[in-house]
Amino acid sequence: MTAAELATGAVMLVGLVAAPLLPGMIQRQKAYLQGRVGASIWQPYRDLRRLWHKRVVQPSGTTVIYLVAPAASAAALLAAILIVPAAANAPQFGVGHDALVVVGVLALARGLLALSAWDTTSSFGLMSAGRDLAFAVAGELLLALVLLTAVLPVGSTDLGAMWLGASGSGIWSHPAHWCGLVGMVLILLVETGRQPIDNPDTHLELTMVHEGPLLEYAGRDLAYLQWSAAARHWVVMLLAAGLFLPHPSGTVAGLAAVLGWVVALTVLLALIETMTAKMRLLRVPHLIGATGLLALGGVASWILGAAL
Amino acid sequence: MTVPDQQRELLDVSADRWHERIADLLAGGMRFLTLWSDPAERVACALGSGYGTTVVRSTPAPGELQSIVDVAGAAAWDEREIHDRTGVQFAGHVPLRPLVAHPAATADWVTPVSGDDVHQVAVGPIHAGVVESGHFRFHVVGERILHLDLRLFYKHRGLEAAAAGATPDLAARLAQRACAACAVTNSVAVAQAYESAHAGVPDAAVRRARTLLLELERLYNHLNDIGAICSGIGLATGSMAFAELKERAQRVNAELTGHRFLFDTIAVGSSDLDIDASTAAHLRARVAAIGAEAALLWADVGANRSVRARIRGAGILVRDEALRLGACGPAGRASGVNDDARADGGLLWYPGFVGATLNDPSGDVAARIEIRAREITACCAIIEDVLSDPVRPGRVTLSGPAAGPGIAQLESPRGRTVAVVEPDRAVIAGLHLRTGSYANWPALAAACTGAILPDFPLINKSFELCYACVDR
Repeated sequence: MTAAELATGAVMLVGLVAAPLLPGMIQRQKAYLQGRVGASIWQPYRDLRRLWHKRVVQPSGTTVIYLVAPAASAAALLAAILIVPAAANAPQFGVGHDALVVVGVLALARGLLALSAWDTTSSFGLMSAGRDLAFAVAGELLLALVLLTAVLPVGSTDLGAMWLGASGSGIWSHPAHWCGLVGMVLILLVETGRQPIDNPDTHLELTMVHEGPLLEYAGRDLAYLQWSAAARHWVVMLLAAGLFLPHPSGTVAGLAAVLGWVVALTVLLALIETMTAKMRLLRVPHLIGATGLLALGGVASWILGAAL
Repeated sequence: MTVPDQQRELLDVSADRWHERIADLLAGGMRFLTLWSDPAERVACALGSGYGTTVVRSTPAPGELQSIVDVAGAAAWDEREIHDRTGVQFAGHVPLRPLVAHPAATADWVTPVSGDDVHQVAVGPIHAGVVESGHFRFHVVGERILHLDLRLFYKHRGLEAAAAGATPDLAARLAQRACAACAVTNSVAVAQAYESAHAGVPDAAVRRARTLLLELERLYNHLNDIGAICSGIGLATGSMAFAELKERAQRVNAELTGHRFLFDTIAVGSSDLDIDASTAAHLRARVAAIGAEAALLWADVGANRSVRARIRGAGILVRDEALRLGACGPAGRASGVNDDARADGGLLWYPGFVGATLNDPSGDVAARIEIRAREITACCAIIEDVLSDPVRPGRVTLSGPAAGPGIAQLESPRGRTVAVVEPDRAVIAGLHLRTGSYANWPALAAACTGAILPDFPLINKSFELCYACVDR
């Protein structure tokens, strides 16, 4: 294993630990923008430690699905972190680096949580899970389309190759890349459950999307789920930075650029969340659909460009 | 400014003329104010025209009166409450569902709604935030709300019962505790109702002091309510900025009266508030600054495209429905019901009062915020007007007790609050408080029909009604 591979692998493993820092940073920046001091960026870790030592509760009538879902969902996200490379030459962790697998793994985590909501039969959990799945129908298609705009230039679904294909400046001359970038920003909001799609700070059950299925969970189970939510931030931001934002092709410089973009994306999310209100629920599929059309346009423009 | 004619009329009618008499008065242009069961076990209905009131009383015979909901839709909750508390039947009010009584079986109180995929979503009485007890039962198809059943009245605090036999001052303080956010309105209402029963004439000092306190209460409430709507749509910057202004308004309250919620500032028959010229000028400047900043802030927040997209068309209460249900206050005015107790004159200090109105009273969340934003400006102007001179202690000249109950109508931050005091020499025999929140709860349920479930918290906050007001 080369030093470059080691560096890339190290950054990816750091993601396992550093993921909770991202929501922490977003919350802190949001507080700053609201004129508050806010909680420390380490607050998510404190929450995780507190929850980790608390007892797990199981609502009566639930089955093994409810028990397994949090850890399985965390495992899916763990796999996703190991799949998404921080640079082109990522070491193999035994899960490959295929773009379509990432889509599947993220969908698996979502599906598990929806199943657990079904298991509890809690009306709030089911309602939120139903909304989440309704968004996912459009959202996952969008994710696949957006990834496709990055797949086409390199002709491979290997994320390492796609990372390399998106490096340098050449790729920016093609409209498909711009369409992909716009789509990716929306995916960032959908996957991380941030405004204007969802309000992560809400306590109002009736408005919840991602938070609803979590309502019944406590203790270690909730810790798994909170870590999963943070890991989702890491995975999607790394995808956005590596596949759609400018970065050099060299490993060290590329890693530095990608990490820089991840931090910049937390600023972007904090800004969006500060400046926009949450969107009316039934308008969200329209937004996802419109962005999907844009991504589809990107794909079409590539195919047309290649045909001419 | 002259004291308006406190025209009071008392009509004792037989049970069979009850409905006819009230229907005639309503047809003559009077408005329904409240319905209550008095200490002599009669049912009484207060109707208002300007600041004048007419009370129609009748003894149910035998245990039954004809319902007036066909002519006064606003009386629906009042009749249900009286039925639960006293057992009086209201013929023609079918079904007369329990309101204060909480039967265990859902079918006994919930409106039956049926159809393909119709299901119920139950929320509360325990909520995820710091919210009072209230149970909401939504009948939905998917995300669409078909009907909302409300179950409030969880706490039986016995405030009105405790007021029976109490001195007027104690009664006013009990009414004040009905709801912290309308503490001034409730206590002024009881004070004025008692004074009205004794043909009281407040001097200018009392009227100015009470007006000042009422408007200070409205100011911090409206600032709070707009901030609450901002947090309801996830616009934390807006809610924080309005929270800051509300804090500043409450600090003015504290400096002026020693209490952030203006508690214990109202006395029956007098006013102790004493503000010298320099304090008045100082506080006046601070209130003016709050008003100016609130206007700028709302111009900013209200112009945000995502905010407008979110609040427009949400939770529409159409004018006819608002009128039928007796919606009042900002919620009524947002639907084009130009009802403001301040415009009726009364015994306060509103020279040349012109209420805030909307060009397009669309009855949605946007209209309910907009009307509040405009009222903040108007409210600050009234406060500044009062504070342009020192405020001195004053007295209310009382005469001997008159026959029948004393009634006061006031505009609370949430709507028309009506207090009824049954005098009995130096004490009061009975107290009935019908606050602006009580009046507007049925309108909230109506506004939710056709809305989507995730919009409910927003619609609820745009009314910002008080649960405690009904728990009296």
